[in-house]
Amino acid sequence: MKSRNRNIEFFLLLFVAVLVVAGYVLASLGRSSSIPANIVPFLIGILLLLLLAHLAVRKFAPRADFSLLPLAGLLNGIGYFVIARLDKDLAGLQATWTLIGVVAFVATLVLIPQVRRLEQYRYILMTIGIVFLIMPLIPGFGREINGAKIWVSIGSINFQPGEFAKIVLAIFFSAYIVEKRDVLSTTGVSRFGIAIPELRHLGPILLAWGVSLIVMVAEKDLGSSLLFFTLFVALLWISTGKISYLIMSGALFSGGALLAWSQFSHVQERVDIWLRPFDDPTGDGYQIVQSSFALAEGGFTGTGLGVGTPENIPAVETDFILAAIGEELGLVGTTAVLTLFLLLVGSGLKIALTSTRPFEKLLSAGLTTLLGFQAFIIIAGVVRLLPLTGVTLPFVSYGGSSLLANWVLLALLLRISDEARRDETDENPTRMGAG
Amino acid sequence: MNRNIRILGIALILCFVALFVQLNRIQIFQQKELQENPSNMRSVVRDFNRERGEIITIDGEIIAESFKVEGQLEYERTYPYGDLYAHSTGFFSFQYGADGLERYYNDQLAGQKETQQFNSLKDIFTVTDTSADLTITINHSLQETAKEALGERNGSVVVVDPRTGAILAFWSYPSYDPSIFGSSDLQAGEKAWEEYSSLPTGEDPRLPKMYREIFFPGSTFKLVTASAALTSTSATLTEPEFDIRATYTPPLTTFPLQNYAGSTCGGDILEGLRVSCNTTFAELAAEIVGAESLIETSEKFGFNEIPPIDLPSPAESIFPNDFGKQVGETDNEPPIPILENTPALAQSGIGQFNVKATPLQMALVAATIANDGILMKPHLMDSFTDQNGELIEVYKPLIWQSVLSRQDALSLQLAMEMTAASGTATNLAIPGVVVGGKTGTAQVDADRPDDTHGWIVGYAGPNDRESTLAIAVIVESVPGQGQLTGGTDAAPIAKEVLLEALKIQGFLE
Repeated sequence: MKSRNRNIEFFLLLFVAVLVVAGYVLASLGRSSSIPANIVPFLIGILLLLLLAHLAVRKFAPRADFSLLPLAGLLNGIGYFVIARLDKDLAGLQATWTLIGVVAFVATLVLIPQVRRLEQYRYILMTIGIVFLIMPLIPGFGREINGAKIWVSIGSINFQPGEFAKIVLAIFFSAYIVEKRDVLSTTGVSRFGIAIPELRHLGPILLAWGVSLIVMVAEKDLGSSLLFFTLFVALLWISTGKISYLIMSGALFSGGALLAWSQFSHVQERVDIWLRPFDDPTGDGYQIVQSSFALAEGGFTGTGLGVGTPENIPAVETDFILAAIGEELGLVGTTAVLTLFLLLVGSGLKIALTSTRPFEKLLSAGLTTLLGFQAFIIIAGVVRLLPLTGVTLPFVSYGGSSLLANWVLLALLLRISDEARRDETDENPTRMGAG
Repeated sequence: MNRNIRILGIALILCFVALFVQLNRIQIFQQKELQENPSNMRSVVRDFNRERGEIITIDGEIIAESFKVEGQLEYERTYPYGDLYAHSTGFFSFQYGADGLERYYNDQLAGQKETQQFNSLKDIFTVTDTSADLTITINHSLQETAKEALGERNGSVVVVDPRTGAILAFWSYPSYDPSIFGSSDLQAGEKAWEEYSSLPTGEDPRLPKMYREIFFPGSTFKLVTASAALTSTSATLTEPEFDIRATYTPPLTTFPLQNYAGSTCGGDILEGLRVSCNTTFAELAAEIVGAESLIETSEKFGFNEIPPIDLPSPAESIFPNDFGKQVGETDNEPPIPILENTPALAQSGIGQFNVKATPLQMALVAATIANDGILMKPHLMDSFTDQNGELIEVYKPLIWQSVLSRQDALSLQLAMEMTAASGTATNLAIPGVVVGGKTGTAQVDADRPDDTHGWIVGYAGPNDRESTLAIAVIVESVPGQGQLTGGTDAAPIAKEVLLEALKIQGFLE
């Protein structure tokens, strides 16, 4: 069982390497009609990176799910060759960040042999999470880039602590909810057929709501705010199954969003651009209009890698990378990316389903929600389904903090998967023999 | 818990399904609309560093061509005749995209149409120049005549072949030199662009007024009102007779409508057209033709519709399509409804109120009458030729709409020919050929009653055959310079252009 999983993973990773190298070569052919000069080092580099991750999983999480690493590797690879086609300098940095990400992936697998050990540090993690969240607001540390105060500068290094806060908070939320599960599930007064929990148990929701509002208002980071709140509500839902929480959180978030919209011009601006981008196609609406043009230019099959002109979309390497994929690879390409994320979500939730302990169950579902929902809100912004919220497309967008955080997140998922399978076989030792 | 996780999974799947649906909308269903959006310059940026076909007039003058240059951009687009063809070719600019034919036929000029891509298997493996040269229907010497005849007055000249819809001259003043936007000197282009953008709309030379600006057609619109009367009522050129009078007061108002310069006129429709009698046509529109028929006939002529011309974003000419609820009936036999806005309908019948038309539209009204009631689709493309000189596409004339019966068209021809022979359009008459005309003197707005645009529409051709030319000329009012009339200001310009055109066609020496 365990070696079979790893063997499948190995062959999938070889396939990923072939696809990524093919994309890289095609993009270069499309741009300059030449095979990239560094094709051999590139191929070796990719194989080494994937092999490093694979061997780490083989050694430290041998029973883990086989699909997660190839899926993440492929998304990272697609992101890389699209970035390489857009901006050579960024591609070099992205390659470095990918290497650091994979190393962090390996380190996470090595350093955290059992996820449940994290449970006891929940309040420390909560403190770290909140510190990460508000760090960009500390004068001297924080830095505003492109209107969002989500950056922190230490020396010459800029990073987005929010990307790490989301993982830390997912661990804290899971542990906290497991601890308070009984209290949260008790039914309070029943009104209109809906069970309303007692007021004091609403504390955590209100806290999460408050934090997400602060993030939205003070850091102008609508995406992360929505992501944190959704994460918390999803975990609350999984552990209690109470519709009333969903309704209340929905109402709270809508209320908060409405309040923010009525009070803050930057929020209004975002909403206006979302509703009427074509009113000002060369000014405020430029980015989203250019993104729509790029997607339309791609049509069904795309212009071909390296042949389109996605460069004129502002932030195309980060928030709008899907528009570049849509232009050059068409609906086929964007659908492929959506499918990869759906498979990732499916595999992640399968881990949650097979886990036996509540903490692991919640954490794996939470981490999966983070990946899936973050992909959803940024793509929804790019395709004008929701107002644009500047978060990255996990594994695909350019960005060091994001890549690093997502590789760590992936390692945690694999760790939980490995534990779940181990528990399964421990509890049913006969199963192996029977097979 | 597992049940809840499954529900979460379903919620996430639904999120992604929504994304998939929206991607389909943008990438497939709205694709064409987004690609044709005026602010979409992707195809131009894509095509800027490629070979690009020439644009050539029907008599062989190259009016747009590309040259290889050194520097940041590989090619420059130049227009040897400067401002002469700017409103037809448009421009082709790295910064500002493209307009005019350069935009409409961008794919063919750049060799990007699927049909141009691969002629044989060999083309897949070799890099060949697939760009095509565009020949247009405009005649160079006629275009020059139109420019000279109008001179430095704001206005437009449109000449169409009524039999095919081919545009033979297409000029409007002021114009500009599009080479400045096609040049590799991007700063010069930017400077000109900003300068033009700071001008009021009517003075911006980039605006091709002949197909993108709408004006009150004034009395030239009486042709449409007369058409509606002949088509949908029992009226003929000689029946009924209208009172000879100086003013006419439509139902539901006490505000009288006056004839030009306080003159008195009346009589039948033929006489009304010949002397351009406002009272006759106001009453005809308000009390005999009625709103429904007038709307229907004007729409048959092309009003309230984007004209199917091969140029980007042509303006729609407007005829109001709602005159309010019925409040009564006329005494005539058969009675027609009196509407809340019947006074406005009376105004509309003489081309005022909210009626607005492009010069192109009014040329097409004349062309329809000259072509025995059949309106042809206007077009500038004649053919495309590949770089080996082989024809790859030739325009085939297409009918836009059947507007009038031959009988009614012949009646209107008679009226227009009489107008040119002895009515308001005598300045258009040319001995030795058939000429029909209709003048217009259109108020600019109610605040400036003394400033008027001068219009003329007409047609010409040999005596024994169908007409070969239709024309519309508008000379725009100059604030404070008083009245411009169709007969004295526009007709001589049209005559000069028609003379040249008839010479080119071989009907005059």
